[in-house]
Amino acid sequence: MGSHAQLSSQFFGDLLDSIIVDVASECHRIARLGLDRNLEEEEEELRLSAQARVRVADPSNSGEANSKYVVDIFGQTHPPVANEIFDCMNCGRSIMAGRFAPHLEKCMGKGRKARLKVTRSSTAVQNRYSQGSPVSTYSPYSNSTSTSRLSNGTSSGAGEEYSNGTFQEP
Amino acid sequence: MTTGNPSYTNPKPCKHLADYKLNHGLSGYKSLQKHLKTAPHGKTSVGKPSTKTPRCISCDGFQDIERAELYCCVCCDQVYDPDFDKAVMSKHIMGITGDKNGDESIGKRLVKRRRLGSGVVEELVDSKISKQLISMRDRRAKSCYPLGLRGLNNLGNTCFMNSVLQALLHAPPFRNYFLSGGHNHETCRKRSVDQLCLSCDIDVVFSAAFSGDRAPYSPAQFLYSWWQHSANLASYEQKDAHEFFISVLDGIHEKEVKSRNQNRDNGDCQCIAHGVFSGLLRSDVTCMTCGFTSTTFDPCVDISLDLDTSNFPPKNTANKSIKPDANSSMSTLLGCLDLFTRQEKLGSDSKLYCQNCQERQDSAKQMSIKRLPLVLCLHIKRFEHSPVTKMSRKIDRYLQFPLSLDMTPYLSSSVVRNRFGNRIFAFESGESDISAEFEIFAAVTHAGTLESGHYVNFLRLRNQWYKCDDAWINEVDEGMVRASQCYMMFYVQKSLYQKANEDWSHLPISPRRNMFGQ
Repeated sequence: MGSHAQLSSQFFGDLLDSIIVDVASECHRIARLGLDRNLEEEEEELRLSAQARVRVADPSNSGEANSKYVVDIFGQTHPPVANEIFDCMNCGRSIMAGRFAPHLEKCMGKGRKARLKVTRSSTAVQNRYSQGSPVSTYSPYSNSTSTSRLSNGTSSGAGEEYSNGTFQEP
Repeated sequence: MTTGNPSYTNPKPCKHLADYKLNHGLSGYKSLQKHLKTAPHGKTSVGKPSTKTPRCISCDGFQDIERAELYCCVCCDQVYDPDFDKAVMSKHIMGITGDKNGDESIGKRLVKRRRLGSGVVEELVDSKISKQLISMRDRRAKSCYPLGLRGLNNLGNTCFMNSVLQALLHAPPFRNYFLSGGHNHETCRKRSVDQLCLSCDIDVVFSAAFSGDRAPYSPAQFLYSWWQHSANLASYEQKDAHEFFISVLDGIHEKEVKSRNQNRDNGDCQCIAHGVFSGLLRSDVTCMTCGFTSTTFDPCVDISLDLDTSNFPPKNTANKSIKPDANSSMSTLLGCLDLFTRQEKLGSDSKLYCQNCQERQDSAKQMSIKRLPLVLCLHIKRFEHSPVTKMSRKIDRYLQFPLSLDMTPYLSSSVVRNRFGNRIFAFESGESDISAEFEIFAAVTHAGTLESGHYVNFLRLRNQWYKCDDAWINEVDEGMVRASQCYMMFYVQKSLYQKANEDWSHLPISPRRNMFGQ
């Protein structure tokens, strides 16, 4: 090996040693000062979750995970659309529970056309940094980036069916 | 690990170092201080080692120059000394701020007052009272199941509301407040001119849920009230469970502020919503040129987390990846929290003004939790919006989450300390002694797409899991919950969780569980 190669090899070795000692020194301090995380507990949780996913994904596994329920724990059965009847507190008409929300929308004049456009307020901290701090504060809807809005069902109106009891695989 | 960790505050000294200090005091450290240099990212080293650097002849004290650590030649081990670390940190602080006291208070808006809210909340969550109230209720109805367990009718795509309501109904301190008469809807309505009171409506829902009646309840009045409240804000059409949650807490808070006719400091609000859910976040912005750090505190009622992708495998405190094999491709809640508290370099297009340098510099930002709430709501940002394609999509990626959660690594004390190489030093003062151990009690899951999907809530009562799918309540095993796709997770302080379990211990547990050997 030429002296250049030797030298660069030596430098590399020194750098590598330095990096290794960096990590070793940090870990040593953390362990000595009792600052380590409880890895055993964390790994146990990971293991249990992995096991659970395997069990749930197994098609031969019958049971609650993949089937609709016949009765609930109180022995009751429920129709797809809730059929309790009560009076609308806005107009007084008798409404079936499962159709109450769409009725109320129209009843309160809250159709899509009637929606008010209000600028979302955010506190300064959300706007301050480009990263878009993910924090919600007291001001409502403070996520100015309007992230993570998962709606449930379309807004088209009454009489929509929905599943009750089937478990969908992630 | 609380501040009561003796290994940290007072590690067992190496005998030789102790002897050295007895003989020479701290003068060695003082003269070494001149040569200490801490980089903006927090790592300290000794610059310009000279022969003048004292090395005790008889002892063995020795220096790791690159890392400013003490090494004992006799023990052949790295040793730790609070006085040495203090010397390191003091030099660093003095160097940045020129403050002779080495006080890290410059640029900070400290919330000095201890949270008064916790005291008020504790009075009102006296579980003894709620226990009495429960025993007076109708015991005929299915008393073997936990009280308060009751299906909620879907009123037309309102599962977003039902799933959050179930979580609120079973959040121990929140539940205890309402069950013990913390907000009586009968007396409130009489007093208040303004008819709209979300707390009253919630109180009604609590009464219904805990009445002993097991037929599904229709929260129609609540929906009506909530729509009236949210009409004042942006679109009422909030079909997102998380936004609904925020909006409800806001509604409770507003009414409280109005009725008490006061304008409290956000951090000390005593309304039940904030008393239970409010925590405090710390944000540090560090100048990458000089190391000067500007700190601000902001209250929050939940934490929204980005999913950690496989690009960022979860790290432990030494920045090492845990098990870089099958697990590293799985997203975990701890990984998301690591990501949340990681120091992030802000792009060069967003240079911030540094008070010390007196010009705009590249900066790094780091979040941490200054104060944990009683109930911690963690929200996963499963929505992804691409500014390029202008399309939004839901991220279906599975997220592993623990049932028992230790938040210690994400506390400001841990995070700030870690930034400075875990030196023995009082980085964070006045942190409350609320424990950092939490237990999950509710998980809101979402299945389906952005436009059409379904929310389901899993409740954990007395260590039995229940699936609350609108009107349907069924027992499920823990595995099913673990394997589900979580959107919002509700954790409560471990002590409160255990207490809540004890409260109902006089009632027999579900017989079905024994039948199936669960």
